[in-house]
Amino acid sequence: MSSFITSIKENNSIIIIETNGYLNNTGGEAISEIVYEKIDQGHTKFLINMGNTKIVNSIGVSILIEIIEKLQSVDGKLGYYNLAPIVSKTFTIMGLTKYSTLFESEELAVNEI
Amino acid sequence: MAKELNISDLQLKYLELETLLDITNDLNSFEEIPVLLQEILVKSCAVLNASSGLILIEDDNSNVLNIGADFNIDISALNGIIFNKNKGVIKEINQSRKTLCFKISQDNYFYGTNCVYCLIAPLLDKQKLAGAIVLFDKESRKGISPFIDSDSNMLSAIASQAGIAYNNIKLIENIKEAKAFNENVMQSIATGVFTTNLMGEINHVNRTAVSILNFDKEYIIGNHYGYIFESNEQILELISKCELESITVSESQVQLQFDDKTTTVNISVSPLLNDFNQPLGTVVALEDLSNINKLKSTFKKYVSNQIVDQLLENEDLLSLGGQEQDATILFSDIRGFTSLSENMTPNEVVETLNDYFNQMIEIIFKYNGILDKIIGDELMVIYGVPKSNIQDSENAVLTAIEMQEKLIAFNQDRCINLKKPIKVGIGVNSGSVISGNIGSTDQMDFTVIGDSVNLASRLCSSAEAGQIIISDAVWNKIKHLQTFKSKKLSPIKVKGKAKVISIKEILYNGYEFDYQDAFNKVEAFLLKELPLYYTYHSIEHFRDVVKQVERIAKKEKIDKAGILDIKLAAWLHDVGYIWGPLDHEEKSVEYAKVILNEMKFPKSKISLITGMIMATKMPQSPKNHFEQIICDADLDYLGRNDFEDISSNLLKELEINQKITNFNWLKIQEKFLKSHSYFTLTSLKSREKNKQKRLTNIQDLLKTYEATRTSRK
Repeated sequence: MSSFITSIKENNSIIIIETNGYLNNTGGEAISEIVYEKIDQGHTKFLINMGNTKIVNSIGVSILIEIIEKLQSVDGKLGYYNLAPIVSKTFTIMGLTKYSTLFESEELAVNEI
Repeated sequence: MAKELNISDLQLKYLELETLLDITNDLNSFEEIPVLLQEILVKSCAVLNASSGLILIEDDNSNVLNIGADFNIDISALNGIIFNKNKGVIKEINQSRKTLCFKISQDNYFYGTNCVYCLIAPLLDKQKLAGAIVLFDKESRKGISPFIDSDSNMLSAIASQAGIAYNNIKLIENIKEAKAFNENVMQSIATGVFTTNLMGEINHVNRTAVSILNFDKEYIIGNHYGYIFESNEQILELISKCELESITVSESQVQLQFDDKTTTVNISVSPLLNDFNQPLGTVVALEDLSNINKLKSTFKKYVSNQIVDQLLENEDLLSLGGQEQDATILFSDIRGFTSLSENMTPNEVVETLNDYFNQMIEIIFKYNGILDKIIGDELMVIYGVPKSNIQDSENAVLTAIEMQEKLIAFNQDRCINLKKPIKVGIGVNSGSVISGNIGSTDQMDFTVIGDSVNLASRLCSSAEAGQIIISDAVWNKIKHLQTFKSKKLSPIKVKGKAKVISIKEILYNGYEFDYQDAFNKVEAFLLKELPLYYTYHSIEHFRDVVKQVERIAKKEKIDKAGILDIKLAAWLHDVGYIWGPLDHEEKSVEYAKVILNEMKFPKSKISLITGMIMATKMPQSPKNHFEQIICDADLDYLGRNDFEDISSNLLKELEINQKITNFNWLKIQEKFLKSHSYFTLTSLKSREKNKQKRLTNIQDLLKTYEATRTSRK
């Protein structure tokens, strides 16, 4: 597992991935690798805890979009919580919020996704 | 069917603009440079899709940039790299002030990072290069790619904003420093100072004033001066007058009464004005006169009484700030003190230095020198400050000579106590200096600076142990006195001076004593005067003792100077035989005193020599290491293979007056050998065994004699 991913857990059939550090090409690929593997195992709902990811670039966002496209094909969903304001703003500008959801906490995310 | 999702160029541009705006908005909220740099770097990396980056930032004291922030990069790969403003890519951005993008080549600063592409933008502090934002490897979904022109433009814009924010923080830091500086100045000055505002409230007070006013600082600040000085009419009138008339008023010897404490002060009240000469309040200075006596006694630790009195009589001599004047500067430095102190405990080092300094400082004050500094084992002494005197250079040279002569006696005591001698080199120069209060906000020193001071220090560095080196400037001021002996030395090249400097060595008693000449004179005297019937105390005995003292002293690790002194004593120890065997040591001492004085041997060392001579008187009674060595050398033959020859020479000499039978001679020798002991480890190791063999032989012979005698009876 990449050092960017610090934990993977399952809550109510939802896969929760915790990240740490720069969400760039490397970070994005680390997430996609896990998500695709879990999709193959039948999972369709994913949450990313981004409490320790304070910075993200557009390549990282592109990879998230690729993941969303893949999830759309299996009728899955992607959500995020614990976002730093700057990350939240970047996701909004890049249009990510149109296809995935930002949550304030894990509890809300698990209940609402 | 999945929706087609894409990030449009417009969105990216929007993100770039938002980031730039964020940076612009946020930059002024940072108060610390490291936090600012990290924020700029992280945002730059993110918006330009750089995989990593760092910010190089100026070092105030050099032309080198240091890593001020790093992101997603192993900076250990850059360890040891000097980011010189005048070299490589940093030089390029320093000169062009433009952002550069390039592929990292082998000769680039960043080659060790394993990054491929670099985008570097100058961070400018006004027009000066303050640093650089460096981004590495633009990311794409296909891997990394070079940065493009639009990235350069974006980073230039970020760097430009960052430069402004950096300058702002620096400015704030400078203001804080200036404020702290003013506060330090205020707090460090020995005069009590407080200021009042237009309302008459005290808004600043320094430590000394708090002490004089005898209140807590919290009580003083914000209180009206009328309350603070309610029972001190005189100062109230002075402050009031200053407020009303905007003039400086002062009063001497004013008694301030606070509770039970009375303090005598000189008061000066001045109007506090702004740049437009509008009143802001008053500034009140209180000079505590009760400290004068304390000051006087403290001052006397640094300068002679005469100088203290001069200063107190004429305060103008100590005007603040620099003033140019003539002065003579003496530097002295212990040679090899580091190696000397290596074998000492810290306490011994301190004790030795204190002992040394006490003796030297006494001499410095005797000649009206001002002890300017003690730096480690170095002394800096000034003559002619604050008031120059025609005798300054003479006094400095006299100090130097007396210091060196005093050290000879000082070292004599040390050698006797088996301690290594302390030797100093001294440099003296005279010339124009700037004198005044020089230092920092925390500490100010009254001192002198200038080329003349530097040269004095360099002359000291050039002086060998025991040497006094003076410049021509000093020599020109003392040569007319015709009291100093000097020797011209080869001119020296001094750092920072184009021309070589002519120097002289001042000669003094002791340093120039010619031991070989003394040995030759004593030997010649012995050859001429020693009666030939001395078959034991012949010239051979003297030569043998001299040879043995040298051998033993070397083994006992005595230094060269010490060996010369012991050899001198060896040449002199039995000279008294010329006037007969009775009390010959005392006669030797008398002769030694005469000849050594004639030859200008240091007076302080004559007792060292005579002590060694007297130690050889039977029974030997050495009181120190040197005396032990000469005693062992004097009877070295007792444990040598030539014992028989030398002992028969002694017998012959003794038989001049009366015949000694073989039996009696054996008895005399047995008694002598039994009572004798060597003192030094060297002799105990090399001679004792042989001596004991000799004793056994003699005792065996005596037994044979006894047996023969008994059988005859």
